[in-house]
Amino acid sequence: MASAKFEREYGQHLVEQVLKGKMTRRQLLVRASVFGFSLTAAGQLLAACGGDEDGTEASPSAAGMPEPVLGGHLKWIGPAPITEPDPVTIYDQGGIVLVYQFLEYLIDLNNDNSLRPKLAESWTPNDTVDVWTFKLRSGVTFNDGSPFGAEDVVTTMERVLDPDNGSGALSQLNGVLSPGGIKAVDDLTVEFHLDKPFADFPYMVSSGNYNTAILPRTYKGDIIKNPVGTGPFLLDQYVPKQKATFKKNPTYWGKDEQGRQLPYLDTTEYTMVEDNAAQNLQLQSGAQDLQPQTVFQGAQALFQDPNLRVDIYPGTGIREVAFNIEKEPWSGASGKQLRQAVAYCLDRVAINKALYDGRSNLGFDTFWDPTVFAGSPAVPEERAQDYEKAKALLSEAGMADGMKIKLTFAKYLENPQLAQLIQEQCKPAGITVELDQLSYDAYYAGDDDDYYGTTPWLNAAMSITEWGSRPAPGIYAAAMLLPDAVWSSSHWDNKDFVDTFNQYESTADEGTRMELATKLSQLQQDDTPILVPFFITQLRTQKKNVYGVEGPGSFYCDLSRCFIAQA
Amino acid sequence: MLRLIGRRLLLMIPTLILVSILIFALAEVFVPGSVGRSILGPYVTEEQVQLLNERLGADRPIVVRYLSWAGGFVTGDWGDSALLKVPVRPLVMEAFWHSLLLAGFALVLIVPASIALGVFAGLRRDSVLDRTITVSSLSMTVIPEFVSGVVLLYVFAVWLKWLPVTALPPDGSPFYTRLYYLILPAIPLMFLELGYIARMARVGTVQVLSMPYIRTAVLKGLPRSRVVFGHVLRNAMVPTVTVIGSQVGWLLGGLVVVEKLFNYPGIGRLMVEAALAHDIPLLEASVLLVAVVYMIANLIADIVVALLNPRIRMGG
Repeated sequence: MASAKFEREYGQHLVEQVLKGKMTRRQLLVRASVFGFSLTAAGQLLAACGGDEDGTEASPSAAGMPEPVLGGHLKWIGPAPITEPDPVTIYDQGGIVLVYQFLEYLIDLNNDNSLRPKLAESWTPNDTVDVWTFKLRSGVTFNDGSPFGAEDVVTTMERVLDPDNGSGALSQLNGVLSPGGIKAVDDLTVEFHLDKPFADFPYMVSSGNYNTAILPRTYKGDIIKNPVGTGPFLLDQYVPKQKATFKKNPTYWGKDEQGRQLPYLDTTEYTMVEDNAAQNLQLQSGAQDLQPQTVFQGAQALFQDPNLRVDIYPGTGIREVAFNIEKEPWSGASGKQLRQAVAYCLDRVAINKALYDGRSNLGFDTFWDPTVFAGSPAVPEERAQDYEKAKALLSEAGMADGMKIKLTFAKYLENPQLAQLIQEQCKPAGITVELDQLSYDAYYAGDDDDYYGTTPWLNAAMSITEWGSRPAPGIYAAAMLLPDAVWSSSHWDNKDFVDTFNQYESTADEGTRMELATKLSQLQQDDTPILVPFFITQLRTQKKNVYGVEGPGSFYCDLSRCFIAQA
Repeated sequence: MLRLIGRRLLLMIPTLILVSILIFALAEVFVPGSVGRSILGPYVTEEQVQLLNERLGADRPIVVRYLSWAGGFVTGDWGDSALLKVPVRPLVMEAFWHSLLLAGFALVLIVPASIALGVFAGLRRDSVLDRTITVSSLSMTVIPEFVSGVVLLYVFAVWLKWLPVTALPPDGSPFYTRLYYLILPAIPLMFLELGYIARMARVGTVQVLSMPYIRTAVLKGLPRSRVVFGHVLRNAMVPTVTVIGSQVGWLLGGLVVVEKLFNYPGIGRLMVEAALAHDIPLLEASVLLVAVVYMIANLIADIVVALLNPRIRMGG
């Protein structure tokens, strides 16, 4: 629970925002979770708002869920880890889903991107939002019997902040948290002293930043040989590129609402299969119970299979179509009009229909979109295909006769189809799109002496890059839209946006945040450094008698409440 | 012949050295990225990658790295996989045995069937049966294995549920169960190879049938079965055996698609993944092992050909 004073003042503030109509009840729940309100406290806030809708969304698995069955063996399937998993460096789905079984984060993400306490029981910022105090859960032990405490959190965070350890979290925390900024106040209290105020900081130590899984202070980089964690399962066997088996952690701290010991399952077996078609066939044959991430392409047969249930989650993953504003034709005075012209060529409904059977959410080139990120203001302009406008913009930019552009992308997932759709939809406006398809490895490769200056994904004039789910619009913006962002394919450098963004992340006042978010959204749309045509809905496939699988996005799969009901 | 076999075996050494240099150079020059980038992924900074490459020794000049690897390899130290952090030797050998089993099983199915069909078609040259066998076997050859594999999986594993959907049985399964699990992945390979080998067998049969000694045998009044088994088959097999020998290497190391589709941990998949990830010790060991098998299979084919037809003098 957050401190009483903060909770009272911030809670009152949230209620006022809802009563004034500036925030929905769902948005209140998400923001309350970011500032560490307990479920009870958030419920009291909702009650104070009046009305009878609770603002929560039942997870698809929860709908009609029978009484949990204790015990059982779950067979699940997904890709193999690219390397031997190391929580400090993992970046791929195969590695992340595996370590998530026996490691935990301070905070977990719910399906709606609200935050759920895990190893942290509460978290609270100071008035200037640059010091966050985390109260840790007591009575938790690692599966080797050693107690969990503040020192483990400090060493975990210092480890990912050390460049020598090669963690991707370092880039995510860039400019927000530096080595030496984490202090153990006592055994169960940790303070994070940030480099600058950052209101979305809790997301950065949640399962949304997957390299921040809490490891014992004695960790030596050998998680497969010594799989020590606080999570619900124990790693039993790991065969590279083939399988991993898990068994219940008998000393796990978690219990369900009825006081039953978690996890429900006794054992699970993860089969590593790279090929999506092969994964789907294994599900259809009945050989597997669960596929944590289902790719849209080829999933039609799964939707139609009477023995399977495909859960649909409001994902936040995107395909970033970036205009490199340092390169022609996007640079210079007329670059903005040209970028906007391409934006108005897109029929986003048709793209969504073609790529995702219409099941994803439309995007309008801004991250602050209330459809996927609760707490965001309305999108300034819901862009639709408008060739007249596109031609006018081209004409304004001195390209009345059209232009030729090159679109670079990896042959991966639905990128080639998206590139073809962009090509087709730009043609009527006189924009000729040359497709530059690279292998996945070539797209992300670069000269090690100057990786960021040579890799196609950050240097092509126009590119498509696939991004997995991010829990908040500010996290996306910090990663790709700021001038010091290390993953900026657009190389956008808009001072107004940067200043507004810093103000946005420096305040806990939701009214101010909403106003600033509106401005950020307008700036992003107006300058159009990137196109965000859609936010990809997540699919998860399981047998119809499998329930309780949790975890938003594609990479996290919490099986602690999973059970197999009687057929 | 023994001297010739010895000479061929000795020739393998410079060939393998050349192969190892080529593989090393190709993996370094044509595969983008570095092992550090493969391990850490695209979301870390250049400095972080360089630190890891330094630690792994991957920042040294290519010649130094090659000599370092080669020095270890010839002394029996195959090194560790940088990606998987396990010793290369057991990893490669396990994958190799998996591939050997699948290739052997496929050959057991393919060779008798394709020879029987080819000889049968050759004996009834230009008949409806000949044309049916030739056209249908060649048609199967052009079906890519990922197409036939998916269709077979859907029909026999998903729909009818007669056969398992994967190629690897549970741990501890008896040998016959392992073979049962290999039936489905072997069929796409059969499709690919059947037409090719059957065609060679047919051509060989047709050629031999036109030889004067066959006419003599028939006119002498020898029973047809003796003519076919005693004279035609023995001589018709020469080109077929050569082709089979050349296919063994592919069956062992080239089954990437089938291994992926049936989730079979063979050496083909291992090689591709190692190449893409710059995992040089793993790549080199896999490729050299397949190269050795390829050369030995060709040598055995040559010996068999010489035994089948004493008129052929190897190297003569």
